Amino acid sequence: MKHKVLYVLVLASLILAACGGAPANAPSVVHVGWAGSPDTLNPGLAILTEAYTIFELVYDSMYDLNLDGSFSLSLAESVERSEDGLVYTYKIKDGIKWHDGKPLTAEDIAFSYNLYKDTPEYPYLNGYYTPYFSSVEAVGNEVILTLTEAIPNIESQLVFLYILPKHIWENENKIEFENTAMIGSGPFKMAEYVQNEFVRLAANKEHFATPPKVAEVIFQTFENQDALVQAIKTGQMDMITEMPSTAVASLKTAENVEVVVGAPFAPGVSDIIFNQTEEENCPTPEEGGICTGHPALRDRNVRLAMSHATDKQKLIDVVLLGLGAPGLTLIPNGLGVWYNNSLKDYEFDVAKANQILDDAGYLDTDGDKIRELPDGSRPLTFRLNWPSDSITAPRMAELLSEMWGAIGISLEMQAVDPDALTSQCCPAFDFDIMLWGWASDPDPSALLYVYTSEAVPTGSSETGYSNPAYDDLYAKQQTELDFEARKAIVWEMQKIVHDDVVYIIPYYEQATQAYRTDRFTGWIVNQAKVELSDTSSLVFIEPIK
Amino acid sequence: MNRTRALLKKIAWSAFTVLFVIILNFFLFRILPGDPARAGIRDPRLKKEAVEMLRVRFGLDKPVINCFESLNPIKVGSCAVNPLDTQFFIYTRNLFQGELGISYHTNRPVADILAERLWNTVLLIGAGQILSIIIGVVFGIFAAWKARTSVDYSAVIASLLVWSLPTFWLAILLLFWGSNNGLPLAGKSTPGSSSLPLIQQWVDIARHMLLPTLTYTIVYMGEYTLIMRSSLMDVLSEDYILTAKAKGLSTFQILKDHALKNAMLPLVTVIAINLGFTVAGAIQIEAVFSWPGLGGAIVEALGRRDFPVLQGAFLLIAVTVIFANLLADLTYSYLDPRVKVD
Repeated sequence: MKHKVLYVLVLASLILAACGGAPANAPSVVHVGWAGSPDTLNPGLAILTEAYTIFELVYDSMYDLNLDGSFSLSLAESVERSEDGLVYTYKIKDGIKWHDGKPLTAEDIAFSYNLYKDTPEYPYLNGYYTPYFSSVEAVGNEVILTLTEAIPNIESQLVFLYILPKHIWENENKIEFENTAMIGSGPFKMAEYVQNEFVRLAANKEHFATPPKVAEVIFQTFENQDALVQAIKTGQMDMITEMPSTAVASLKTAENVEVVVGAPFAPGVSDIIFNQTEEENCPTPEEGGICTGHPALRDRNVRLAMSHATDKQKLIDVVLLGLGAPGLTLIPNGLGVWYNNSLKDYEFDVAKANQILDDAGYLDTDGDKIRELPDGSRPLTFRLNWPSDSITAPRMAELLSEMWGAIGISLEMQAVDPDALTSQCCPAFDFDIMLWGWASDPDPSALLYVYTSEAVPTGSSETGYSNPAYDDLYAKQQTELDFEARKAIVWEMQKIVHDDVVYIIPYYEQATQAYRTDRFTGWIVNQAKVELSDTSSLVFIEPIK
Repeated sequence: MNRTRALLKKIAWSAFTVLFVIILNFFLFRILPGDPARAGIRDPRLKKEAVEMLRVRFGLDKPVINCFESLNPIKVGSCAVNPLDTQFFIYTRNLFQGELGISYHTNRPVADILAERLWNTVLLIGAGQILSIIIGVVFGIFAAWKARTSVDYSAVIASLLVWSLPTFWLAILLLFWGSNNGLPLAGKSTPGSSSLPLIQQWVDIARHMLLPTLTYTIVYMGEYTLIMRSSLMDVLSEDYILTAKAKGLSTFQILKDHALKNAMLPLVTVIAINLGFTVAGAIQIEAVFSWPGLGGAIVEALGRRDFPVLQGAFLLIAVTVIFANLLADLTYSYLDPRVKVD
């Protein structure tokens, strides 16, 4: 009887497998598998990268961010900057149309910028991108943007401010609007959206700059990365945006699959965070300060010794299976010119590390193989926490415990729910060491801010590091209009924080993506950064005949 | 008359339990460490004012309840605030108006999200439950009737085996097997299929459901087989079954008229309990097959401290469990008149 039931089930599965599936196999439909889903399609409220990937395809913005890290004008044919750097005049191209056929004008652009600037419920946008906007006006086919301060990075401030159609948005409630129909002007149109399942985009063949050569792109959500890998192996997906590093080797040998490895589009950085908050810069109790950090971590010597005792290459080899580069500061190598490649890292040298601790007076006085503070009051036993949703952190913690054990430092290790970790972290400073990370903006100032004294009470600083000289340089680079001069300042800032051993940056992780070679051709893989789901690839690829 | 009163009493108790859950739900999530305005956001540019703005948008700037500003960390506040202006009051008032609120992070009405996810979960788990109950009961009867023969032993061993299989492991195996045979790997439907005729849409959904349902059925049918078997074997050892045999009734008649109804009681309990959990979804199965069910929604909402979604989902689950138990109670007294409703 059991056999009969199984037989019926198998039979049913074969019948079901045989029929259906027709739309999936239609030519010129690109299937992209990813492990997420947009949180919301309202650009004012979204924060997930998946949402931004869709915005990038469906909307246009004033600038395009290229894969080499440079910017180019998109909607405007020219831009003029006033002598004092406060007024930008953009001349908007003629003949650009919204997906519903109405013309896109300077009015729409001014409307969008003012919407982002003046809607307090969009705190990410007006906090990150529009704080220097004084006014935005449309005059004829020109958009005149006036700033309160001359800033060097107008491109990165505008690139994620997507242009919305005024004729639709002016009639909507800016907060409740779900924007599922998503009328934009970009190379793809929204065709169908089912949250947490898929996003189906149709080509906008009339796009003014880059009409796609394929008919549709479907983003399919996978909650399970093994299924994602299996999907590209079996050809159900044409491209996947991520994979576990354990899958890379098997995919490299898979038939008709090409694995691409490189710097991610939004460069990421992993960090080993030392709580070095001094009593005088601990945030007040009203601000949430608790400050229970181990006093030894405030000593540069201890942090330096720990740096020398950290074998970064081993971390990369074991944790990332080799898919990363040794890190220096929070500014990752993926930021190109902003990355200070002249810094020399602290070499891995356990003897030297031990020597530094010996000289600084941290000795093991009770013979338990763990050093004590110079006054003997407390052993160098640190709490080590990491977000429980991290796949890499537990392995890294094990390795660090071993490496630092060799210099007489012991760890109490515990994974913590990410939200609980946030409240433990900052601005509470209720920890010793944490493993975490950041994703970077194209402009370095976002991550440089993390080291400032100003960021300590706001919760952006994870270390409590405070250095007035650094703070001055931070303010200076924010208004330095000369590119070379600004670059010099940014490099100098990296040198300061590297000398002070504020963090140990174990590595800069690489992005791994994969695509099928038997369905579409023309994926952009020879650039400084890897992002196959970027417009650059998706408008370029064409079906293999 | 007495019966009706007892019934009303049961229903009243259930309603009281729901009320308790409503209150518990509110405080449960606010005791959790973490701040919805910062959860899931790691961006150095997120300034204090922005966090404050988000808290206002979410309504978290108001005191939790009189005398308490917040519960984690516990911050005692003024007891003199207008109780109508506390989070707790606004939450209960909205709830009694049938308003579950707006998700903090997806910006959609919670009722929409839950309805969508609940339907998906009921579809998947419902099909799995029905199949596993039918197969389990049939196997159980068969094993009990053929007790202590090789048929029985193999049924018991097989049931124990599938019951103890790790769900995610079986799911992954089936996923690999299915994907090599042309079955879809993720989701509930093929993108673009919504424009097809209704029949083809159903076939498409059935294709997506096949593997997760199969996983669920295999894992649960063992449990039902074992319970059915032992319960039926108990009944079959009764004297009246011997009498029935002596009267010359056929096997089928004995089972149908004398044994089965009595043997169903323990099974009803398990089914009721499992039905309650049905709504919570089989999180592991949903995760492996990327099935957009309620379980996944809860995990996601918890990760970002999305209170409205969590409160709504937990209320939904609680109501279902309470309702399933009520139903089981009532079914008992139908199946076995000796069990009184009170």
